[in-house]
Amino acid sequence: MKAASFEHHEPTTVEEAVSLLESLDEPTILAGGQSLVPMLRFRLARPDTVIDINGIDSLEYLHEEDGYLRIGALARHADVEDTDVIADRYGSFADAAPLIADPQIRNQGTVVGSMAQADPKGDWGSVLIAHDGEVTARGPDGERTIPVDELFLLPYDTSLMDDELLTEARVPAPVEGEGSAYHKLKRKTGDYAMAGVAARLVLDDDGRIEDAGIGMTAVDITNARAADAEAHLEGERPSADLFEEAGELAAEASNPESDEHGDAGYKERMVDVLTQRALGDAAERAGAVKRRVPQ
Amino acid sequence: MTDKREITLTVNGTERTVEAEPRKLLVHAIREDLDLTGTHIGCDTGNCGACTVLKDGEPIKSCLTFAVQADGSEIMTVEGMEDLPEASGELHPLQEGFREEHGLQCGYCTPGMIMSGKALLDENPDPEEGEIREAISGNLCRCTGYQNIVKSIEYAADELNKEPAAADGGTVTAEQRFADDDFDCGVENCCGGPSTETPHVEGADPQFDDVGGDDT
Ligand SMILES: Cc1cc2nc3c(=O)[nH]c(=O)nc-3n(C[C@H](O)[C@H](O)[C@H](O)COP(=O)(O)OP(=O)(O)OC[C@H]3O[C@@H](n4cnc5c(N)ncnc54)[C@H](O)[C@@H]3O)c2cc1C
Ligand code: FES
Ligand code: FES
Repeated sequence: MKAASFEHHEPTTVEEAVSLLESLDEPTILAGGQSLVPMLRFRLARPDTVIDINGIDSLEYLHEEDGYLRIGALARHADVEDTDVIADRYGSFADAAPLIADPQIRNQGTVVGSMAQADPKGDWGSVLIAHDGEVTARGPDGERTIPVDELFLLPYDTSLMDDELLTEARVPAPVEGEGSAYHKLKRKTGDYAMAGVAARLVLDDDGRIEDAGIGMTAVDITNARAADAEAHLEGERPSADLFEEAGELAAEASNPESDEHGDAGYKERMVDVLTQRALGDAAERAGAVKRRVPQ
Repeated sequence: MTDKREITLTVNGTERTVEAEPRKLLVHAIREDLDLTGTHIGCDTGNCGACTVLKDGEPIKSCLTFAVQADGSEIMTVEGMEDLPEASGELHPLQEGFREEHGLQCGYCTPGMIMSGKALLDENPDPEEGEIREAISGNLCRCTGYQNIVKSIEYAADELNKEPAAADGGTVTAEQRFADDDFDCGVENCCGGPSTETPHVEGADPQFDDVGGDDT
């Protein structure tokens, strides 16, 4: 099926994009298009105007700066795969990127576009939750920061205003003793997650967990935080028993729906297992001795 | 309000202009306006990869991008393969690989597979099997079961890596090609170890003969 007709605008600066957002009637932003183009083709979205941000060169970046990993709105999933600092220091990002869709889609789709898409099955939302990430929204009144926990409202719905553009997603750069990981269960290569878990741990000098972050994919109406599991980990020493308890708490916090891939009970069990695995990898990367967790 | 716009694409090395409404998908511009029907459409959801083309050297799904977004870029489609220097005016080693290794049955997925294979070999001339499988993970095939597609791309990698031999006029024979293959089940055109003098199986469906219908 073909998309309904629309007017196509190609701003080359953020300012121009924001003034178009303000002046046009219900415009839609086009980034990688890997979610939007199918929605337009199925006419699930029928905007009169599309603001294509691919010509805004200033949004094409992915680097560490001022204590953050900064992901510009035009950084593609494939850029995450290809960036050395990510391979070296951001385990969860390095794990998640190659598990998203397929090589062609990763060449086009953007991290920030995934945040705006707010698909509960999207992988980046969970990674940002585990890292206590945030996004920058730019509107007619200037810039504001939205913590990831305040971004996702409902499936495909965010707290972003109609006249706001997301310019950046970012997470604090890892500190000494930090490690992170992402585990995803999918039926076959290229599929969205049946369940996914991102975990981040910071160990203090004494080897105790100083800070923990856990984000879950595809098991609630939005990407969700496993807050009880995080709290349970803090102050403790990493161990298989501890991670088992955290896995159970994460499963309890999840709220999956039964579908053709599995019933809710099965998915909860998978959240439990994936949480233990992600915590195990995060602890290992944080420098703790590898603990045996169920594989 | 949805006026057509003139866009310029360098397709397989030749600059082409297309009048496109913004809603026109790149795959439709390629097939309908440029009449390059080698690029296929197999789904509405971006899952199948039959529409894969290279945009500025990177594989993308041309059904998930509007033609206006490709304005000014270089597009390569399967039709461009035989114009590449490695093809020496005939089939490109990747295309030859799909023929030699039975990498296709109905052929619907083949153009997309070849473009994904091309993108892989450009980046990584000597890929491991796992890397080949990863590179074609966005391309669905309903016929072959993928084994022979992987072999077809391995064949092309081998050919391209020994290009100098072929470039000085000599041709690489099947014996040479499989000389260092240590596994051969003994059946012609199976297990990567055929020792046939002819490139096709005696009595096989003529569409797979090298004079047959699949390359015409
Ligand atoms: C077959 C297939 C498989 C996929 N598998 C996965 C998967 O396994 N995991 C996963 O996470 N994703 C998956 N995706 C989705 C993919 O990751 C998309 O790239 C992503 O969801 C959206 O990013 P985009 O840049 O393509 O955004 P677009 O499609 O361009 O936009 C998506 C939405 O976000 C809005 N938007 C985009 N950028 C901005 C911005 N800067 N500011 C404000 N609003 C903006 C758009 O208006 C639109 O509503 C898959 C997609 C396909 C087609
Ligand atoms: S036609 Fe199926 S992915 Fe493009
Ligand atoms: S050969 Fe038929 S789909 Fe691949």
